[in-house]
Order: sequence, then structure tokens, then C-alpha cells
Amino acid sequence: MVTGAFYSLAPAMAEFATNKVDKGFSTERVFFWAFALLVLAGATMTVTRRNNISAVMSLVGTFFGLAAMYAMLQAHFLAALQVLVYAGAIMVLFTFVVMVLNRDEAEPWAFHGVFSKLAIGVPALGYLVVKIAGYVGEAAEGDAGSASRADFGTVAAVGKILFTDYLFAFEAVSILLLIAVIAAVVVARSHKPDEAEGLTLPTEPSGHSEHH
Amino acid sequence: MIPASDFLIFAAILFAIGTLGAILRRNALIVLMSVELMLNAANLTLVAFGRVHQDVKSHAFAFIVMAVAAAEAAVGLAIVVGVFRSKRSVNIDELTALKH
Repeated sequence: MVTGAFYSLAPAMAEFATNKVDKGFSTERVFFWAFALLVLAGATMTVTRRNNISAVMSLVGTFFGLAAMYAMLQAHFLAALQVLVYAGAIMVLFTFVVMVLNRDEAEPWAFHGVFSKLAIGVPALGYLVVKIAGYVGEAAEGDAGSASRADFGTVAAVGKILFTDYLFAFEAVSILLLIAVIAAVVVARSHKPDEAEGLTLPTEPSGHSEHH
Repeated sequence: MIPASDFLIFAAILFAIGTLGAILRRNALIVLMSVELMLNAANLTLVAFGRVHQDVKSHAFAFIVMAVAAAEAAVGLAIVVGVFRSKRSVNIDELTALKH
């Protein structure tokens, strides 16, 4: 279905027809398909697994594949950040939360029965893809594989623009992160006084803890 | 040479998968992960267009999006943990306290 979606859309065929882009099996194309397969498989497994840890691990694989695609697009700084921030920090946070919650789902899906899931899922997916790809056809005139200058997408280039043109956004995001840290601590902490001071474990009903 | 539309259509498919996960699943953790998928699809679109126009502005934008996604994941997970403390469940269908 994915291949059909790719090659049945008019803009891609128009680009093939004008002979501007590579039609055959170049090395880049093979790598693109390999990483695209990894990302799509990981994404599909993430949204379909009943076991939470399986979903988290497949999302980690998805993020690694996406980092490879950023590297293919000469976004080296973002590729490194993707691995460090997304796969390395956010997914570790998800893993810890899954450990704390520690249960598999009894009934994971909002609709019961395979047929109703397919009947809603496939048309929804098809509609979304067609709608979004319709906008893509109008805008995508460029070639994403030609040579670019040597300092494109490096840490220096992105850092220069972050610290000059977008300095306010950078500083605002740092404050946002500070707010998020404080909010996460306040929301997730226990509000019972004995638990909060670390004197008792959350499972104990009473508050006696000093006498052991 | 890979046309930009390949990356853009692929990002569209990824976004659609994330949307389906956020709509069809009942576990709050899986919904949060699907939201992360959608944010990553948007990032991929940004980086693809940055490549087309040879501009690192979109890389800076994607960097900000990554930071905001990290903050949102942290607060969302804190809320999930807080809700689990009282309800002992992460099923979003059970959060009906504000329903009239």
C-alpha cells in the first residue's frame, strides 16, 4: 500500500517525466528505501503493540531511522540531536514511566474487532495521506539530493543562526524547559506528607516509619 | 538524487500513522508516543524543505520543535503518573470526571 501511494501520485510521476531526477536504483535511493522501511515498520509497531515496552523500543528504532534520514538531507546537527534528545532522553523517560506504571493493557483498542479497526483505520489513513500529499505536490519542486555547500547543516551554521537571528526563540525555549521541569516535579510528586519526605514507600497504608 | 517529494510524502505517511495511533489507542502512553511521531514527521518536512532551499533556518526551527516536544513529553508523562496515582489506570476512556 505504501509503494502504491508513492508511485501513484501525480507530482512524483511528473518529476520522473521531466528527467530531472534519478529514475533508477542509485545508492542513495536504496538507502532511502532501507531507512524508510525501518521508520515505517517502527512507527506501525509503536501504534499497534499491546506491550508498552515493545512500543517504546520500536519508537527508539524509528528515531534512529529518522536520524539517518536527517543525515541523508545533510542535517548533521539535527541527526546527532535526534539521537541524543529523542532516542536518548525522551525515550528513556518513557521507559522509566512504563516501569513505574508496570501494567499491560487489558483492552488496548478503542474499537473492538479487527474488521471495525480496518474499516476505520484504512480509509482514515488513505484520506490523510491523499490530503497531505495533495499539498506536497504543489510545493515540492526542489531536488533534495543535489550537492550543497560544505558547511550546510553543520553545528556552526545552525548555531550561528540560532544565536543571531533566533536568539529570542532560543532563550524563550530555555525558560520553557525550566517551566516544564518545575511543572513535572510538582505534578508527579506525591502529596501525602510521609511519602513526600521519603519516609515511607507509597504502598504502606500507615505513616509510621521511624521505628524499624 | 532523491526528489524532495519522496521525503515529504514519507513524512505525510508517518504523520498519518501517528494520528491513527493517537485516535485509536486507549493507553495514554501510546497516545503520547503517537504525538511524538507526529512531531517528528513535521521535523522531517522542515528539514526536507531546508535542504531544497539550502537554508538552515528550518534546522533552527526543527531544533526548537525538538526542545518543545521534550518539554511536552515530560509534562505529559508527569500528568499520566499523577493520574495513575489516584485512578490506578492509564486508560483514557476512564477519565470522565469533567463530563456532565
